[in-house]
Order: sequence, then C-alpha cells, then structure tokens
Amino acid sequence: MLPGGQKLEAAKLRGEVSEGMILSERELELGQDHSGILVLDDGPEPGTPLADVLPLADDVLDLEITPNRPDLLSVYGIAREVAVIYDADLAPPDVSGGQSPGPGRNGQVDVQVEDLEGCPRYIGRLFENVAIGPSPAWLKARLVAAGMRPISNIVDVTNYVMLGLGNPLHAFDTTKLDESRIVVRRARKGETIRTLDGETRKLEPTDLVIADASKPVALAGIMGSEDSEVDESTTTVLLEAANFEPLTILRSSERLGLRTEGSGRWEKGVDPYLAETAADLATRLILELTGASFAGETEVAAELPERPVVSFRPERANALIGLELADKEQRRILTGLGFDVTKDWNVIVPTWRARDVTREADVVEEVARFHLNEVPFTLPLRRTGARLTREQRLRRLVEEALVGAGCSEIYTTTLLPDDADPNALRLPTPLTSDQAVLRTTLLEGLVTTARSNLDVGNEHIRLFELARVFLPPADPRPEEHWRAGGIVQGGFGPAKGVVETLHEALKIEPSFERTQLPFLHPGKGAAFEAGWVGELHPERLEGEWGVFEVDLPALFARVPERLVYQDVITFPALRQDLAFSVPEGVSAAELVTAAREAAGPELHEMRPFDVYRGDQVGEGRKSIAFAVSFQSPERTLTDEDAARLREQIVSALAERFGAELRA
Amino acid sequence: MDPNALETEAQSAIAAASSPDELEQERVRYLGRKSELKQALREVRDRESGMTLNALRERLETAFAGREEALRGAELEQLLGEESFDVTLPGAEPPRGHYHLITQIRREVEDIFVGLGYEVVDGDEVEDTYHLFDALNMAPGHVTRSPLHTLYLNGDTVLRTETSASQIRVMESREPPVYMVSLGRVYRRDTIEAKNFPIFHQVEGLAVAEGITLGDLKGTLLHLCRAFFGEDQQVRFSTDFFPFTEPSVQLAVSCFLCNGAGCRTCKYTGWIELGGSGLVDPNVLRNVGYDPEQVSGFAFGIGLERIAMLRHGVPDIRLFWENDLRFLAQF
Ligand SMILES: [Zn+2]
Repeated sequence: MLPGGQKLEAAKLRGEVSEGMILSERELELGQDHSGILVLDDGPEPGTPLADVLPLADDVLDLEITPNRPDLLSVYGIAREVAVIYDADLAPPDVSGGQSPGPGRNGQVDVQVEDLEGCPRYIGRLFENVAIGPSPAWLKARLVAAGMRPISNIVDVTNYVMLGLGNPLHAFDTTKLDESRIVVRRARKGETIRTLDGETRKLEPTDLVIADASKPVALAGIMGSEDSEVDESTTTVLLEAANFEPLTILRSSERLGLRTEGSGRWEKGVDPYLAETAADLATRLILELTGASFAGETEVAAELPERPVVSFRPERANALIGLELADKEQRRILTGLGFDVTKDWNVIVPTWRARDVTREADVVEEVARFHLNEVPFTLPLRRTGARLTREQRLRRLVEEALVGAGCSEIYTTTLLPDDADPNALRLPTPLTSDQAVLRTTLLEGLVTTARSNLDVGNEHIRLFELARVFLPPADPRPEEHWRAGGIVQGGFGPAKGVVETLHEALKIEPSFERTQLPFLHPGKGAAFEAGWVGELHPERLEGEWGVFEVDLPALFARVPERLVYQDVITFPALRQDLAFSVPEGVSAAELVTAAREAAGPELHEMRPFDVYRGDQVGEGRKSIAFAVSFQSPERTLTDEDAARLREQIVSALAERFGAELRA
Repeated sequence: MDPNALETEAQSAIAAASSPDELEQERVRYLGRKSELKQALREVRDRESGMTLNALRERLETAFAGREEALRGAELEQLLGEESFDVTLPGAEPPRGHYHLITQIRREVEDIFVGLGYEVVDGDEVEDTYHLFDALNMAPGHVTRSPLHTLYLNGDTVLRTETSASQIRVMESREPPVYMVSLGRVYRRDTIEAKNFPIFHQVEGLAVAEGITLGDLKGTLLHLCRAFFGEDQQVRFSTDFFPFTEPSVQLAVSCFLCNGAGCRTCKYTGWIELGGSGLVDPNVLRNVGYDPEQVSGFAFGIGLERIAMLRHGVPDIRLFWENDLRFLAQF
C-alpha cells in the first residue's frame, strides 16, 4: 500500500505481468522528485522490506497535546514522559560536534535585538560553503511521517530540530540580507512583507519582525520572506535559534490568519533555554549534511528567567488525590520529569515547565497523572439534603401539563435575526446576521417550527417550548425570564384549552379579557394575568393556529402555596342551566364575574357551554348558556335557596348588561 | 299431593330447562297461581303442613332464581361471543405530547444529582466576564475569551460559554460545603454543522468541602456514567488541561456499543470521551474567598447533546433544533 492509499498489485505493464513496481520518491511521499525512480544506495537484496532500508515510519503516534504543554510538541518531550512511565533512563540529545566554539567567536554575526521583551533570546550562527541539496532518505522519512514536506537539507534540518526538540528555527540566505545584518524589532507603520506562501502582508507596529538593515525579512516566529529564502544557489546561511514571547506571536498570527508549525509552538511558550540545544543539534546536522563550515556566532539575550521553586508536601498530594503514594515514588516521578527535589521537598521546576508549574497544586498534578488509574472510586461524605427548588418543580409541572395536553416540546434558538421589541439586545458582531438578537418572545421559534413541520407533511401539530427570553435594558445584564409558549393547530379554541389546562394543573384560575396584539387575529386574542393566548394572524402561517405565551415568574407568583380541602361532597350541589340573551359586545367572563359578585360563594360553578345567535334572540344580541351549580359547605341548599340565588344573578345581569333570562 | 315427589319432579325440571323461556314455563307450572303447590297452600289447614309447603315453595323459588341467573349469564356470554371485534385495531387516541430528548436527559441528570444530595442551579445565560472568565482563572489571553470563540454583548457582558459562572456566584454567596450542578444553554461562536451548534446544553457539577479528593470525582462520575450507560460500564481518566482545575482530567466511558472491541463511535479505542473534570484550582477557591488549605473540591462538565447523541445514536446535533415531530415522537 502506498502512502496515498493506492494498493500495489500485480499489473500488466506493456503486455508483461509485473509483480512489482518501481517507485519514485513522490509516490512514496518521501519527496517531490517524480522525475525518475528512487535508486537505493548500497544495493540491498531484492525482497528486503523497504522499511529496513529506508527509515520509513510504519507506526506513527498521533498525540493530542494540551495547550499547557508546549514541551510535548517534540519527540524529545514525549520521550521524557515515556521514560517516567516505564521508569527508564532518558539520554540527552546528541549534539556532539555542534556546540558553539565558545565566547571567543561571539559577535561575528551582526545581530541587534531592539525588543528584548518580544525576543528575549536570539542566537545567530553563520555557515559558509553550504551545499544545498536534498536531505538523506532517513531525514525525509521522518519529516514525512510527522506530516511535513521535505524541501532542502538546510530547511529540513530546521524542521527536524523543531520536531525533535520543540524549538522552531529559521534559516536565511545571508547574501540576501541588506548589510548581512539581523535586526529584531517591531514593524513600522506601512511596512509589508511577502511571506513564503506568496502573500504580501501589511504589517502593524504590534508585529515583531526579523529585519535586515532596511526591511523585514521574516515575521518573527511565524514565517520567513521570499526575499531572504534559502534556495539552490545559497552558499552562506544564517541560522536563527531564538525565543519569542507567546502573546506577540499569537496576536500577529490571529490578526494575519496565518498559523504555522512554528507559530503554534511559540504562542504556547517555548523554553528560552532550549534555543542553545536546538542551535547545537542543527549545527551538528548542517555540518554533517551540507558540508558547510561553522563560520561564526552571535547571541543576544535578556536575562533568562530563574527556575521556579515550589514548596511541596507529598502528604498533601496524597490527601488531594485520595491515594497513598510513597514519598519515594513521588520523588521518582518528579525527578524523571526534570524537576530537582531537595531533601525537604523544595521542588525546582525545569526550565521547560516554568510557565506551567508554579504552585503546589501544579506539582500535585505531575504526581497524580502517573497514577490516575489506581485512584479508588469514592463518594464525598455528605451531610445535607437537597431537592429541586419550588421554581424548578413548577417548571416540571408546566412541562407535564403541556405534554399531557398533547403538546410536544421543542427547542428553538435564542438568537434571531430580529425581534419585535426595538430595544431587544443585539450582538455587536454576530456570527451570522440571522443570529443577531436575543429574543424577547418565544413566538418566532414556535411559528417557524410549526411551519417546518407543516412543510414536511406532519399532522396534528401541537408544540410548546420552555425557555428564557431576555428583556431589555441590560444594566448591566438583561432580565432573564422563563416562558412557556405553544402553538396548536386548530385555532383559538384548542390553544385556549391548553392554557386553561396549564392553569388547572397549577391550581390557578385565570381571567381572560379581549386583547389585540399585532401578530394575532384582531378579533381572537385574549390576555390573562401571566400572558396571552390567541389565534395567529392568518398572514403569519397558512391554516388556523392558536398560539400562547406564559411568563413563568408571573404564573408561579399565583400558584397557591398550600391547597386547602374544600367540602364539596357532604352537601350536594344543585345544578341548573341558565341562558341569558345579552348584547353582542358582552363577554361570558363579564357575566360570570357579575354573577359571582351578586350570588356570593354559594355560586359554586358557572360554566358557559353554548352560544346561540339567531331569530330567537334578535339582531345584535346573542344567547349564552351556562351550567350553574349552587353549593354550600355548611348545609344542603333547598330549592328556595336556589331560586333566591338565581333571582340575585338574573337581576344583577339584567341591571348591568340588559341581560334577559331565557327559558 | 306428595311434597317430596313434587320437589324431585320440579328440581329435575329446573335443571333440565335450557333457556330462560323454558324455565319460565316450568316456573308457571310449579309456582304459578294455578300450580299444584299454590293450590295446596290455599287449602292448608294445619300449621305443620303449612310450614312444610312454604319451605318447599321457598326452596323452589331459590332454585328457579339460581337457574335463571345461570341461564341468562350463559345467554349473554353466547351473545357477546357471537360479536365479531378486531382487538388489533388502534384505541381511541388522546392527543399525545413528547418531552424533548434534551429535557429527558436533563431531568435524568438532575435526578441523579439530587439523589446524591446536590442542588440544581439554573444560573443566567448572559454573564459578565468576571464570573465567566476571571474568577474561573482564565487569563486575559485565554483563547476562550477571544471574540472568535465567545459571543460578546459588550466588552464585559457575554453569552455564557459554560454554566460554571453560576458556581462562582453560589460560592460567593455562601460558605462551604457546596454541592451543586448547573444545567442549561451555553453559547459558542460555532458554525452550524453535524456535530456543532452555536447553542448547546451542559451540565456542570461542583463539590467543595473538607477533604474532597480526586477519588471522589472518579466515584461520582462513575455513578453518573453507569446511570446513563449501564451498570457494567467502566470509566477512565486521562490527563487534560483546564484553567479552573488542577489536576485536570478527561473523563472517558467504556464504549457501550462495542463493549471495548472497537467501533466507529469510539474511534476503535474502546473508550468514549465525555467531558473535562478535575480538582478545583486553588486560585478559583481563593477568588470566592475560600481557603484552599481548608477545603478542596472537584468540578466537571459534560454536554447533554453529547450524552443524548451517544446513548440514542442521534447522528446530527441539528436534529435537536429542527424539532421535526417525527424525530420528537421517537423519544
Ligand atoms: Zn466502540
């Protein structure tokens, strides 16, 4: 199988069956060379596995590294962890022959760092007589396995050292640097750079650049420029092994939308002490692979940070982890990770962990993470009881009532393109313009969802949502109200029935009065104490739809704290039907209210059950029939009582509404 | 007249009657006005034979009544049995509503933690950056604070990216111990796709008391995972990083789909990552005025959509927001 997924099989080639295939570098993804076949050095026996000849990585570990551990963005950093897990020794990186020749030669490269905050360390090494060419197969294979493209021996070495040790490097063609000079500084207003990806980028004074005497030649830590690029004709190379401040790199990288392997490491913080080891390893490889000579070096650095010292209590670690780890084991872990631990448990943090480990809790984590699986499963010892709050219990009751009334619950988005309330809160920079405003009503989500269900042919649509709305003004934060809203196929009646069921479930008696809202049918809207219910304006959605919205804080304020028994059993009720002819404008609710006032508590129930219009009641009038029951908790009412109560009701309604009792 | 012979004859006639009509004829014959027994009763002269005949009459009446009930019952059974009725037809259907799956998951989580003695806190969806970021130990440069990740209403007011701001508010308002879960909508600046929606739901838990350990976190999350995914499940913890916990650990549950054999859902690892957790960072405790030397705590956060999608095999997060009744009615 080839890296691209193509399978090698016996194939007919020019009429001959071929059992094998001769491959180019590009087919093996070892390089760009597709001009010919790859000829192996030293002529190995045919049939030898390729991986024995070329260090083709057949197993690649794909690791997810948390942002606090930039030291693990390198093979060596991973090796250090593995060594602790398996209690093995970790060898230092082999930099033999690559070390700086010493302070005597310092200063032979012209390096100035104007901004030591942005660039606390800069090592420039000069190489002459560099022979640019392809890297050897082993180096190419390792880069490819790590997901990088081999380019040339010099560039490959910089990438290899970055992958190996975690310190990004850069190489300049010295002859392309104006006055062969390096200046690390912030960009000047109006400066531009043509980066290696071919883009011309406008720079801001917040960007840190590597410049020569006249112009930026690299976006520090992010990407080099085409102008100063190493190419086939390069013979003198300036190797940069530096350290850059994370936030500077992060801001420039985010602003320019340019993320590279290098910037991804810098923005998390690279150990400033690492620059020298990285320079040494790169030097060793450059000398080996390009035949270059090490011509000189300059290092400019601010004072490098001290290693943090943390006072640590192994017994505290055990108390927090919930596991008894021997002091010896805790010490072994810390030492293996590069911490120095004094006899009385002062822990000296290695330079590559100085950003991340500064407190005892951080050291506890270092110990804990190697024994997570052994930590026992326990539960906290609790001493207090708990239950849902009244509001939470009532919200469940609302859901139960609405589901019981045949409504299905929906979840719709809080952020909408617009809201009926012009003061609704608006996101200054929404992700898209249709997620711009925090809703003040659930209505839009209900209508939209009813429509989408209608569109796919669903039937018997009854929906509700329980969610928050956000009421302006935001001083400093908006008022968040839970609401229950619903939409019901069939118009006003079914929706009002749901609203009444909801009230019944909470033992609240609502009173309705006619209202007009812009989104409702002008004749079919009712307001009640905690909300509104009505028929959706026919222009909003095809068909007849009832909608409602209830403000839950307002609703819950009316829920009785305690229900008290009422005797409706001992003394039977007297039932009768009463029909009144009234002028068209009089509502049933008005009649009931007036009847209650007139008859007092012995009027137990008065429920409208029929409305009639026609010849028998005359033009401009209607007849409303009520099922009425009279009841007293103290005695059995007599027919005389019923007659008296009825007379009180009839005369009150006649007086106030011109109501006439019909047969 | 021989009462004994009469009784024998009448009893066998009663037993022989095969329908209520036949029985009625027999009743007229033995107990009717013109019957032998009634005649005899009318002619009774002495107390002794009166008692005998009356007792006989009562016995026969009882026998007739019993036989009649039996015959009528049998007749009704036969009538009902002759009715043809298809019991497989659907019943009369009352309107049926359904709880949204996320509500069901939410209630399960709430009930699990109320059972463990935790209170449920709703918290506000619009938060200030102090409670959402600063108090939770997120440094000014932290990526989550970037307007590329978080929806800002203004410089220091945001739509919450997690529900944990309410933990800060609860801790600020009282002394430990605190055992709480907060559940609700959270917001991220995400584009809408199969696994991402800019709004989703989270449960975040917090326990702060004397002597809380990493083991307590493991035990609590094991309980949660088994309640959700089955009593046989295992949990695993691996190192992670969050600003508000130290140590930080990632929770994974054994794959309940393949039982560890490896499948697409668990990316062939046998484990499914569920969410972040850890011991509350001492800075967070200090920010609310708690003494990290006196109390310790753990915290965790899990997405409700993630639980729902995993447990019920829901392939696309957008289904939760599209609210197609055909989807809603499945749960
Ligand atoms: Zn699996």
